[in-house]
Amino acid sequence: MFTTGSKLLLGATVLSVVGAIAFGVTTGGPAGVLGTIGLVSLASVFGFLAGINLYTRDGNVAALEPGVERTSAAAQPPVGRSLWPIVGAVGVGGLAVGAVSQPVVFKVSLIVVLATVVEWMIQGWSERASADRAYNEGIRRRLLHPLEFPIVGALIGAAVVYAFSRIMLSISKDAGRWVFIILGTIIVAIGFLFAAKRGLSKGTAAGIVAVGALALVGVGVASAVSGQRTIEEHPHISTAVCLGTATEAETEEIDDKASQDVAAKSNVISNVELTEDGRLVAFNLGTADTEYHEITVPRSTTVHVLFTNKTEEPRRLTVHLGTFPAADGTAGSEQADCTTAVNQDGVAFLTFRLDKSQAASTTPYRLTVPGVEGQEISLVVP
Amino acid sequence: MDRSEATVTTLGEMSSTRRRWPLAALAVSAGTFLASCASNAPQDYFDPAGPNAEKIDTLQRPVFYIAGVVALIVIGAVGYIVFKFKDRGQDIPEQSHGNPKLEIALTILPAIILAGIAVPTVVTVFDLNKQDDTECIINVTGQQWWWEYDYATGECGGVEISQPIVTSGELVIPADTPVLLRVTSRDVIHSYWIPRLNGKRDAVPGRLHTLRMQADEPGIYTGQCTEFCGLSHARMRQAAVALNQADFQTWVDNQLEPYTAPEAGTLAATGEQTFIANCSKCHQVNGIANADGTPVLSDPDLYVVSGVAPNITNLMTRTAIAGWTFDLINEECRDALWTASPDEFGAMYLAGVTPDCFDEAALRDWLRNPPGMKPMYVDPNNLDSTGGKYRGMPMLNLNENQIDELVAYLLERK
Repeated sequence: MFTTGSKLLLGATVLSVVGAIAFGVTTGGPAGVLGTIGLVSLASVFGFLAGINLYTRDGNVAALEPGVERTSAAAQPPVGRSLWPIVGAVGVGGLAVGAVSQPVVFKVSLIVVLATVVEWMIQGWSERASADRAYNEGIRRRLLHPLEFPIVGALIGAAVVYAFSRIMLSISKDAGRWVFIILGTIIVAIGFLFAAKRGLSKGTAAGIVAVGALALVGVGVASAVSGQRTIEEHPHISTAVCLGTATEAETEEIDDKASQDVAAKSNVISNVELTEDGRLVAFNLGTADTEYHEITVPRSTTVHVLFTNKTEEPRRLTVHLGTFPAADGTAGSEQADCTTAVNQDGVAFLTFRLDKSQAASTTPYRLTVPGVEGQEISLVVP
Repeated sequence: MDRSEATVTTLGEMSSTRRRWPLAALAVSAGTFLASCASNAPQDYFDPAGPNAEKIDTLQRPVFYIAGVVALIVIGAVGYIVFKFKDRGQDIPEQSHGNPKLEIALTILPAIILAGIAVPTVVTVFDLNKQDDTECIINVTGQQWWWEYDYATGECGGVEISQPIVTSGELVIPADTPVLLRVTSRDVIHSYWIPRLNGKRDAVPGRLHTLRMQADEPGIYTGQCTEFCGLSHARMRQAAVALNQADFQTWVDNQLEPYTAPEAGTLAATGEQTFIANCSKCHQVNGIANADGTPVLSDPDLYVVSGVAPNITNLMTRTAIAGWTFDLINEECRDALWTASPDEFGAMYLAGVTPDCFDEAALRDWLRNPPGMKPMYVDPNNLDSTGGKYRGMPMLNLNENQIDELVAYLLERK
C-alpha cells in the first residue's frame, strides 16, 4: 500500500512533529520559538512531500505493464554502497554527546545529521530515478555537486584559515615572522617545482598537497591545544595621559610610531592649530581666516576636530570632557581624551561627544595642549 | 442572443473601453498640469527667494525646458509611430536595418546636449559650495523627528551672539546675509531642505555637511525632511525665518534675555513646578531653578535615543511645535504672517504667540497625548531595543489641571 518513498517521508514527518513538540516544550525563550517554528516548517514540508508521493504512488508504473518487475525504476538495484548510515550514526551520537557537554558539538552534529538526511535521501532517490544506471549516477551529481563543492571548499578554506590562526596565536611574534617566511618560501618552491617538472604525476602532486594539508591541520590542532601565547598589554590613551600626569614610560609607547597624518580631513567642526609661536587657535569652515578661541558644539553629537602642530615639540591635543558627580555622590574626577603626540606639521583627528550641558559640569569643557600653558579653546555646549 | 450578436457586443465594449483610455490619460495629465498652478505652494522650488536657490533655478530651468522638448519629441514620435503603423491588416512596411548617418547624429546630439548641461551644472555645484563669504555659522542637527539649531557664539550678520542660542523648528537668520549651516544628525540619516533658499543636504550621524542659506528678504520659508527617517518622517518639518538686521538683533536679544520666573501665586507659577516635575528631565528652559536656587538641568541623554529634546526657553517666539508640525498660532494669524510684506513681517514675527493668535487647542492636544498626534516609538513596554530610551515624546498622563498650569506657564516663555 505505502511505497518506500512514502514511508520515508511519512516517517520524517512524524519525526519532525515529535521533534517540534519536544523542542517546544523543553526549550524556552526566542530560541525555543524559532526552533519550534523551524521544526514545524520542516514537518509541513515533509508532510506535503509525503502527500504528493502518496498521490503519485511514488512514481510507480502500472502493475500490469509487461516486464515491469525488471524494467521499472523501482526494480533497479542500488548502484553503490552508501556511507551515509555511518555518518548519520556519528551525527546522532554527536547530538547525544553535545546535548550533555558543549553546545558547539550539538550544533555541528545537527548539521551533520541534516546533511546526512539530505544526501541519503537524494542518493536513495537518484539510484532508482530511472532504469538507466548511468543516468541515475549523473543526476545525483547534477543535483548535489553545486551544493557540495562550495560547501566543502568553504570548509577546507575555513580549516586552513583556522589552522593558520591557531599557529600564529601560539608562537611568538618574532618566531612567527621566521616561520611564515620559511613556510611561504617552501610553498613557492614547491609551486615552482610543480611548474618546472612537467612530468610530475597527478598522484605525486596530490600526495604532496595532501601531506602539506595534513601537516598544516595537525600543527594547527596542536597549536590550538597548546593555547595562545601571552598577549602583552599595551598602554592606551587614558585621562592621565591626556592631562599630562602620566609617566614618560606610559606615554612613550603610545606615541611611538603614532600616525602623523589623517586620510579624511572633511567633516570637522573645527581645525585647531598650535601655531609656530605656541598659540592654540581654531579655524571654522566658512570663515577660514578668522581665529576662534571658542567653539560651539551641539550637545549629544559626535564631532571631530583636526589638530595640526606647527611647533617643533611633539604635542597632543586634549579635550576636557568635564567633571560630574560619581554614582556614589562624591565629586568625581575630570575626564579627558586626546590625540597621540603629533610631530611638527603632523595632523591628528580627535573625536568626542559631550552629552551634558556645560552647566552640568563643575569644570569647563575645553581644548588644551599639555605642556603649553595659558592656551586653550573653550567648548560651548548649550 | 446568437453567437454573432455576442461577438458584436463584446467588440463594442472593447471599443468603448479603448475610447475611455485616452480620456483617462488626458484627465490624469490635465490634473497633474493644473496642480502646478496652485497659488498656495510655499515649497515651490521654481520660486527662489535667495541667491543660492536662484543659482539652482538658473540651472534647472533650461535643463527642464530642454528635457521637456526632448520628452515631447520622443513621446510625439512614439505616438506617431504607434498610430501610423498600428495593425489595420495592412502589409508589413518596408524593413531596413542600419543608418550610419542617423545613428551617428543620434549619438552626437545627446552627447552635445549632455555636455552643454554638464558645464553649467559643475559651475553651479562649485558655486553653491563657496564658503569664504560666510557671515554667520549655525549648527543644524536632525533627530527623530525635529531639527535643532545651535547658534555658535560670535558674530552673525553683524549681530553679536554672546551666549549660545538653542532653538528648534524655525531657523531664524538675518536676511540678505550668507549663512553657513553645519548639518549633522544624532540618530539616523535626515535631509535638510528649504526649497526656496537652497538645495537639500543630508544630515548623517558622525559627519558634518555644510549648506549655504541666504534669503533676499524677510519672510518665512518652509521645508521638509527629505530623507525617510522613520515613523514620523512626514511630520518632520522646518522653516527658515529671515529678519532684517534690526529685527534679528531684537530676536537675538530676546533669546538671550535672562529667565523670568512667573509671578508667585499665579497659575503659571504652579505650571513652573508642574514643568519641573514632568518635563524638565528632557526639556531645558534656560535659567529655571528649583526652590533652593539650584539650576534645573535636563538630562535627555538618559531618556531619549537622540540624547536631546527641544529647548523650550522661548517656545512662544516660535509659530509651531513638535517638529514644526502643529501650529501655535491660529490659521488667521498664520495666513497673515505668511503673506505679510517684507516690511511688515519682522514686527509680526517678533510679536510671537499673542493671546489673540494663540491656538491653545493644538498645544493642549499635544500635552494630553503626544503619541496620539504624532506617531513615535514611545511605548514604555516596547523599548528593549533602545535600552529603555524613547524616540519622541511619551505619554505623560497629565490631568486637565496640569495641562492648564503648563499652558499658562509656557505662554510666558517668550
